[in-house]
Amino acid sequence: MNYDTKAEIDVNGVSKQYEGESGTTTALRDVSLMIASGEFVTVLGPSGCGKTTLLRLVSGLESPTDGDIMVAGEPVQGPNPNRGTVFQAYHLFPWLPVRENVSFGLVEMGVPDTERRDRVQEMLDLVGLSDFADAYPKELSGGMKQRVGLARALAVDPDVLLLDEPFGSVDIQTRQRLQQKLLDIWSDTEKTVLFVTHNIEEAVALSDRIIVLSGTPGRVRATVSVERSRPRDRSAQWFVEQVETLFEQIGPDT
Amino acid sequence: MGALGRQWNLTRLWRGFAGATGFLIVWWLVGREVPSYLLPTPDEVVGALWTELVSGQLFIHLGESLLHYVPGVVIGVVAGSLLGIGMGWSQVIDDVLTPVVRVLRPIPPLAWIVFAIIWLGLGHTGAAFIVFIGAFWITFYNAYEGVGNASRDLMEVAATLGVDSDWRLLWRVVVPDALPEILTGVRTSIGQCWMMVIAAELFGAPGVGYEIITSANNLAMARSIAYMLTISAVFLLSDWAVRRVRSHLLDWQP
Repeated sequence: MNYDTKAEIDVNGVSKQYEGESGTTTALRDVSLMIASGEFVTVLGPSGCGKTTLLRLVSGLESPTDGDIMVAGEPVQGPNPNRGTVFQAYHLFPWLPVRENVSFGLVEMGVPDTERRDRVQEMLDLVGLSDFADAYPKELSGGMKQRVGLARALAVDPDVLLLDEPFGSVDIQTRQRLQQKLLDIWSDTEKTVLFVTHNIEEAVALSDRIIVLSGTPGRVRATVSVERSRPRDRSAQWFVEQVETLFEQIGPDT
Repeated sequence: MGALGRQWNLTRLWRGFAGATGFLIVWWLVGREVPSYLLPTPDEVVGALWTELVSGQLFIHLGESLLHYVPGVVIGVVAGSLLGIGMGWSQVIDDVLTPVVRVLRPIPPLAWIVFAIIWLGLGHTGAAFIVFIGAFWITFYNAYEGVGNASRDLMEVAATLGVDSDWRLLWRVVVPDALPEILTGVRTSIGQCWMMVIAAELFGAPGVGYEIITSANNLAMARSIAYMLTISAVFLLSDWAVRRVRSHLLDWQP
């Protein structure tokens, strides 16, 4: 696939250290990567390799100890709705019905009432939750919650979508449906996607490119392009081989 | 549930009824044996209650009590919530006020009665002041805890959705997240403050408590108990109302 050669996300020599009581922990060391506009890139790695840290740095929720991060040509300084973030634990606002969760960012942007309602409806249709617009998060299943999380991040129409193991807490059937939903949305909207997971199959099924992170501290071990058309058949020869190759690259600690 | 559950509830109702009847019988048996100024019988109390109801005296005195109870509770709850939210949110306010709060908070509201008398006299204003102090500390503490425990994760989500000022964060995340605790404070205040009311009235402020003590001074113990039961009834009614409002506001809670 050919993407705009301009990098939408440019992570340049980034390190992240945490000062703790037991001394300094290095979560990431000298990580560099570039993601083109409209590209779907997965950061794959075992637990504790710093992949969530990397995503939080790109989202602006944390700042790097060293190096810099540019998104759309601008240095990242704090969170911004143009980088929509989806969290593994959903983090829906429990006191708001689905509709108002989705509408949250639009309210902050000052979008007028009627326009906001239309946009929310559009998002709910997109993720198939129109019937649950007035339900509170407590009434939803895990998969439904994550669809709300996705709709909430998408509502403000960000250029970049950051997803932190978004489907890690749902059962396998739901996960595959949500993966397909995400791919549909991605190909319709041409957003740049940075997807974090420890699930190799998921990475191979979704990504244009897979960046393998190894820890600790997290460093880029390999970059793998997956130039196959979607939807991808998970039982195909190439798929199985790709998963095995990546499994070996990540190492035995997965 | 079905028939089994209903039968179970009926059994429990019967037990409660039996307990209440037993209590009344014991009270009546004892009351019959001792002079009325030591313990009037239930029927004497009902008679006194009836007299006060019919003459309208009960409503007049209850109105007097409410005249200091309501403003004291309302102002106390509002001020306590505001200070609790402010201190829970701002490290600076917390640091500045913590020493003062630590010292003042353990002082029982009634100890302030001396100042209430000197500053305001023991009318409605003085009694309202005592009630205010009670409601203030109770709500303060709950709001402070609630804000302190507000979810960091949800604040981060809000930041990724465009919330970029403390005010917006307080309004859209922190206060809604702390609302259950704040409302617990309100409910506790509403109950506890009846104690403050009665205590202040025992010192001479007009109202139900004043009637309890003056009746007792005249050895009209049945009238005292009638007014004691009035407090109980008003407490139960207000607690029920607060519970209703609370569960309505918090129906999003799991």
